[in-house]
Amino acid sequence: MNRWPRLRAALAYALLLAFTLLFVAPVLFMLVGSLKPDELVLAEAGTLRAFFPDTISLDNYRAVFERVPFGLYLASSLIINGLIVGLGLLVNAFAGYALARLRWWGREAMLALVLAVLVIPFEAIAIPLFYQLSWIGWRDDWLVQAIPFVANPLAIFLFYSFFLGLPRELEEAARVDGAGVLRTFFVIVVPNAKAAFASVAIVLFLFHWGMYLWPLLMTTSEAVRPLPLGIANFHTLPPLQWGDIMAFGVLMVLPVLILFVVFQRWFVRGVASTGIKG
Amino acid sequence: MLLAFTVATALTLAGCGPEVERGEGAPDADVHRLEIWAHAGREEERRTLEAQIDRFRAERSEVRIDLTWIPEGSYNGQVQAAALAGRLPDLLEFDGPYLYSYAWQGHLRPLDDLLPEEIHADLLPSILAQGRYRDHLYGLGTFDSGLGLWANRARLEAANARIPGGPDDAWDAEEFSDLLERLAQDDPDGQVLDLKLNYTGEWFSYAFAPLLQSAGGDLVDREPEGVASGTLDGPESVAAMTAVQSWIRQGRVDPNLDDAAFARGRVPLAWGGHWNYPGYRAALGEDLLLLPLPRMDETMVTGQGSWQWGVTRRARDPELAMDFLAFLLRPEEVLAMSEANGGVPATRAAVARSEAYGAEGPLHLFARQLEEGYARPRPRTPAYPVISDAFDRAFQDIRHGTDPAAALSAAARRIDRELRENHHYPEITGERGERGERGDTHKATRDQHQNRAVGQIGVDAKEAPVGGQPLGEGLPPFGRREGSPPTSDGHAG
Amino acid sequence: MRDEGIVRERIPRGAPVNRPMRYSQAPAAWLLMTPALAGLLLFLLLPFGLAVVLSFSNLRMGSPLPLEFVGLANYTLAFTDTGLTRALLNNLLFALVVVPVQTALGLALALLLNRPLAGRAVFRTLFFLPVVFPLSLVAVVWVLIFAPGPDGLLNAALGLLTFGGWEPRDFLNDPFWALPAVMLTSIWQGVGFQMVVLLAGLQAIPRQLYEAAAVDGASRWRQFLHVTLPGLRNPLIFVVIVTTILSFRVFDQVRIMTRGGPQDASNTVIHEMVRTAFDQGHVAMGAAMSVVFFLVILGIALVQRRLLRQRGEVS
Repeated sequence: MNRWPRLRAALAYALLLAFTLLFVAPVLFMLVGSLKPDELVLAEAGTLRAFFPDTISLDNYRAVFERVPFGLYLASSLIINGLIVGLGLLVNAFAGYALARLRWWGREAMLALVLAVLVIPFEAIAIPLFYQLSWIGWRDDWLVQAIPFVANPLAIFLFYSFFLGLPRELEEAARVDGAGVLRTFFVIVVPNAKAAFASVAIVLFLFHWGMYLWPLLMTTSEAVRPLPLGIANFHTLPPLQWGDIMAFGVLMVLPVLILFVVFQRWFVRGVASTGIKG
Repeated sequence: MLLAFTVATALTLAGCGPEVERGEGAPDADVHRLEIWAHAGREEERRTLEAQIDRFRAERSEVRIDLTWIPEGSYNGQVQAAALAGRLPDLLEFDGPYLYSYAWQGHLRPLDDLLPEEIHADLLPSILAQGRYRDHLYGLGTFDSGLGLWANRARLEAANARIPGGPDDAWDAEEFSDLLERLAQDDPDGQVLDLKLNYTGEWFSYAFAPLLQSAGGDLVDREPEGVASGTLDGPESVAAMTAVQSWIRQGRVDPNLDDAAFARGRVPLAWGGHWNYPGYRAALGEDLLLLPLPRMDETMVTGQGSWQWGVTRRARDPELAMDFLAFLLRPEEVLAMSEANGGVPATRAAVARSEAYGAEGPLHLFARQLEEGYARPRPRTPAYPVISDAFDRAFQDIRHGTDPAAALSAAARRIDRELRENHHYPEITGERGERGERGDTHKATRDQHQNRAVGQIGVDAKEAPVGGQPLGEGLPPFGRREGSPPTSDGHAG
Repeated sequence: MRDEGIVRERIPRGAPVNRPMRYSQAPAAWLLMTPALAGLLLFLLLPFGLAVVLSFSNLRMGSPLPLEFVGLANYTLAFTDTGLTRALLNNLLFALVVVPVQTALGLALALLLNRPLAGRAVFRTLFFLPVVFPLSLVAVVWVLIFAPGPDGLLNAALGLLTFGGWEPRDFLNDPFWALPAVMLTSIWQGVGFQMVVLLAGLQAIPRQLYEAAAVDGASRWRQFLHVTLPGLRNPLIFVVIVTTILSFRVFDQVRIMTRGGPQDASNTVIHEMVRTAFDQGHVAMGAAMSVVFFLVILGIALVQRRLLRQRGEVS
């Protein structure tokens, strides 16, 4: 079985390197493109210069900061996503806990409801929702970009499955000591469900960071526009400035990358836990 | 349901809390406030408009101007969304294709009574043509666009091509096809024409409808308003699109994904417009030629139209808005914008003084096309965005080999269905457009004044609620049925 | 959907807590449930109900015409006069290709990384990297990668690999290649997610099971079939569910890369819906499409559930 361990390892490495190339090349292409003059991005795409530029400059980045109030958009994006993740964790964990652990009339119906709305994609209801909120005159602020996304059936489902898998003994001990449901939840359940919270936070964040259609419909003020809308600033009359677009892309993904690198362990563990516990 | 709405309203109020001050000055300051939305074009264009606002303010220091840049990529979506929510500005910039639907929807105020006669007389006929919907002028551009063929003089001479001298001297269809073949013989890949196939959306209607019109067809029949069947899929239009398809099929057209087919010398001919000039001039120098589009029948037809300004029905002070527009239309201001974005100056006085577009200028052809009636406005119907989208789809299908007659007739059916479903866009008279006034009680007299002006097209003044409550703003069309009572209870006026 | 399998294992039906209660949990449960319930009702169910109502109307964005009841007209027209039918088929094809391919690839990567190799954390990070990229951005980058002509990145790479045997094409404008190009982009972006989930699943399989199998003389392949796959049941089901849902929601990539073309070859339901309701302002027709779409998904979910239940009861 392990007659040629070295060969096997070499083979594995070869495969891994090949995959690495496939996964990294587009990212590198974007990074390098953002450092090149606009007209060279495509012109050199077929050559090795696509990955190893002969000259680099930060002109595209300068252009991005001139054309888009980047700091302002970034702040809006962070606030909106902060609200979605912060409130979303609380609200969906509550619901998941009630569904997984408490006995109450209506539980089955609620569970069915959550599973049913799981398949409604947001784009399918975006315009009716837009009408609905226009009715009450609610638009153009941060909250309208966050509140509709706080209650999330997928997040509820993830919490629900995670809580099902938690050992019951701790909670029972707490309850015997006279702790109420809420107290049990915050003191016992939350500290033991860090992985679930991490994974839901990540899922919510990744899903909403790139959101485009909704803010497009709901915002006009510069002060509340999120980052993805900035890309519309580059879709002017041709020629498209690919370098600028790539630079904006790098800047847009940078905050996520930083989060990713800092919290890498949690990212991977969190995402992983969604599957096992599911 | 009730509970749901209560919760939603509570959320809204919470949401409004910290934001309520944004963009709203004290009511008294409103009198001389002008809220403007403009498209976030290129750097120079934006700087120029900002400088123009400063210059205007230098003359009218009592006026406060709030400018919001809206990205071009999402402009119409934002306008529609804001209109629905009753949050349009006083002065709105918009792209040509949308004027007719904004006008029909009642978002715009006619400009006829506001526009000074001397400016009217100085405007290019193309500007007046595109700004008109039914019997009123709703839009004023400070620049227009030019569409033509860019050519590489050296390559044409090498192929012994006849070089047209003006819009009345365009190549005919046969001459053009022959020329493509001759040019192809000396071309490494045989691709000699750039149709800007890399552009998306509106380009195809803008750039190729003239070919249909030159052949005797059109996107839609202009009289009565806009039926497509029999016109868009008529033999003339089909012939024009068949010609385009044959150029593509024979491999004469460069896909131009890098947007540099012409500038890099891969092709000697490029369909294009005034916006290509700086780049092409830099690439080709003295070899750059500007020629009229080919004609498919007797006369050449070209495109026109660009961004323009309109005054919304919500404008608190339409005269002030027009003062600002009149300022933008002064020759020196028109020239400043033309130099910034390269567009054709919108007034004769400015054209005459323009280095690029004046009698001796390299782009004079564009100005001539607009002045001498070679340019045809887009179909002036609220259905235009649908027409344009249907034609775009047909063009893409034809490009990929679909039979032109079939593709065009599918597009025609699509357009006519749209017309039917909208009952051919009947004139709307009613309370619309007067709804959702901003909440200040100081403007009752101004509202009466405004209603008088608007009354010309049958807006019923008694339906106009003033001092609109937040809940009365932005009702979707359910609330806008003709003759329905005003939903807002705030009859402060 | 296959969640049936997941749920069934752990909930004794109807009795989540089978011990005597000292007090009723209902008030607390409703307290905990209410915020989420309010959100789901207000921002998902209510608009969906509105979509159902609107789908029988003539509503267009910004239209000043009175609202009319048009019966089923939008539904019949949606199937005859729009790209909806083709879009539905494309979505189905997309799911049929992307779900198995992406899952298999994710599993392969997970198996590769489930060995004691130096630097596997680095590899894992790199493979996961695309997941953190917003789809809209990924799509823009891939538009450039798919650029036509011999100078396009992918064309050039394929030319190099085939020693010049590859005929350069315009992937995104080719009726055959447009949809596969969108699929490839989606797989590239999403496979890291699958991989991480499955990798964690692999690491949770007890080592003794493999040792026992090896003692029994089972080959590697048989170990994979009889130990690995059953051990990965839950992660696999989870991954398949998520990927299926996502493949029916495909929108960003299509919007940016192909706009549904050429000749609707890469159109998807959501893209057609947005195009109809938003670009053309035909809100009522878009609403009809979302209702059709929901029914189709619901149908698929019910069929899947029935199939799974039968199998589940046998085992």
